[in-house]
Amino acid sequence: MAQFMLLLYDTQEGRAHFGSMSPEEMQKATEKYMAWTRKPFTRDSKRLGMDNGKVIRSDGGKPRTTDGPFSETKEILGGYYTIEAANYDEAIRLTLDHPHLEHGGTIELRQVYGS
Amino acid sequence: MSIVEDTGKLLEHLFRHQSGRMVAHLVRLLGPAHLDIAEEAVQTAMLRALETWPYSGVPENPPAWLFRVAHNSAIDVVRANQRIGQKSNALAADLSRTVAAPLDPDLEEQLRDDELRMMFMCCHPAIPRDSSVALSLKTVGGFSVREIARAFLADETAVAQRIVRAKRQIREQHLTLELPRGSELDRRLDSVLEVLYFMFNEGYAAHEGEALIRQDLCQEAVRLGQLIASSSMTQPRVDALVALMAFQAARLPARTDQTGDLVLLEEQDRTLWDRHLVAVGFRHFDRSIGGNAVSPYHVQAAIAATHARAAGEQDTDWPLILELYDQLMAVSPSPVVALNRAVAVAKVEGPAEALRLVELLAGDPKIQEYYLLWAVRGHLLRELDRHAEAAFCYRAALECACSAPEQRFLRRKLAECDPLRMPAEQEDQLDNQNHHHH
Repeated sequence: MAQFMLLLYDTQEGRAHFGSMSPEEMQKATEKYMAWTRKPFTRDSKRLGMDNGKVIRSDGGKPRTTDGPFSETKEILGGYYTIEAANYDEAIRLTLDHPHLEHGGTIELRQVYGS
Repeated sequence: MSIVEDTGKLLEHLFRHQSGRMVAHLVRLLGPAHLDIAEEAVQTAMLRALETWPYSGVPENPPAWLFRVAHNSAIDVVRANQRIGQKSNALAADLSRTVAAPLDPDLEEQLRDDELRMMFMCCHPAIPRDSSVALSLKTVGGFSVREIARAFLADETAVAQRIVRAKRQIREQHLTLELPRGSELDRRLDSVLEVLYFMFNEGYAAHEGEALIRQDLCQEAVRLGQLIASSSMTQPRVDALVALMAFQAARLPARTDQTGDLVLLEEQDRTLWDRHLVAVGFRHFDRSIGGNAVSPYHVQAAIAATHARAAGEQDTDWPLILELYDQLMAVSPSPVVALNRAVAVAKVEGPAEALRLVELLAGDPKIQEYYLLWAVRGHLLRELDRHAEAAFCYRAALECACSAPEQRFLRRKLAECDPLRMPAEQEDQLDNQNHHHH
């Protein structure tokens, strides 16, 4: 089985949408995300920190660390899943019902080699 | 991995119920003027849960987790808030001192107390009734403006306005969470009960769609009633109201059929009644009997209990129900109560006497636009085999304001009447009698 990474991007629309939800709606959404995490083909899932993060660049041969620009960007990488699927087609099919898509988020799908 | 996670589901209404308690708790720490900050902090905590629990799993103690995050978020907001200015450091220090650990039984007690005080403040006489209802549902009940609007079939902006007005009153009148004393506490308790009863009735009213949210509203009214009934502030009339609401809520599953049409009490499948709620009803009903005062809630609960006790419509103790309606007319007379009493009269003394009473009532302008007046009149006329006149009444009922399921019910009844036209002079006579109506 091949492995694929689902990169979950939080969008501005998605954030605004979550902000207007009632406690009951938020609970339902949380349960849906949790249910997806527990699907048999998921191998790993992690949430990334919600701070700006850090960026390290090579600046004339010297590494330079700056604060990430993430909170100002439209789409922020919020978390990732690793899933198992035969090929891209199946990976897409499995991903289509991910609740992130219902809440205005974007999912990037990438094959992971060497696994 | 905790048990919660294994089932993939959280405790039902966990977020909604915790939200009400967390807001009340933070309002006690921040003061009612900063209700907005409390709400924002609670929203942030739930959002954080949504963003992390799917990945990291549900924490061991979800309420404690939510409380801690809400607390920290409130501290952040207070520190960043310009409006609070110099007080912000003191407030933040205050918040930091309070350790939120909802497993602690003392804190549990404190949280119930916070919730109750919040409820009593929301029902302060300075706040208009509809604003009290909306504010209670939002802050104590954990409902969103959109959900409240949906349950009340109201405009979202209108509901939001009511809440804004309530918050303004809280700020301008410097309302506190302190409970009034003596007779003032008694009066406040009455307005709290009125708000709960209104909340319940709004949820109970037979409107189409959104059945779930309306049922939640009824449940919330029962829950808040139980909260007060278990507190030191309780009075026998609190138990009476809880009993009344529980008995009625128990019938909700049987009240509509699969197509969403209304099913009258006498035709309901009683096996569908919620037995747990019936039991809650009887428990509180028994407790309500202590004390000497008989409130209108007592009498209404007694009527509901009589229906709940009957295994079927034919076993209903109608003479007792009629007696109770006589009592209700004595403590809280109204045309609607009189109309309900007439229904009991029909069962005990027959439809002719009941019709005489309903026709007397029809002269009362307060009830002329009420569809049930016409529906009951039509029903009694049919029992007397006066089908054409009955049809006239059902048509009149259809012209009154009523919901779609109620309209379908009336049309069905109309179709069951003899389709023959009634003699012209008879129609004229009814028309003259009811000229107000057209």
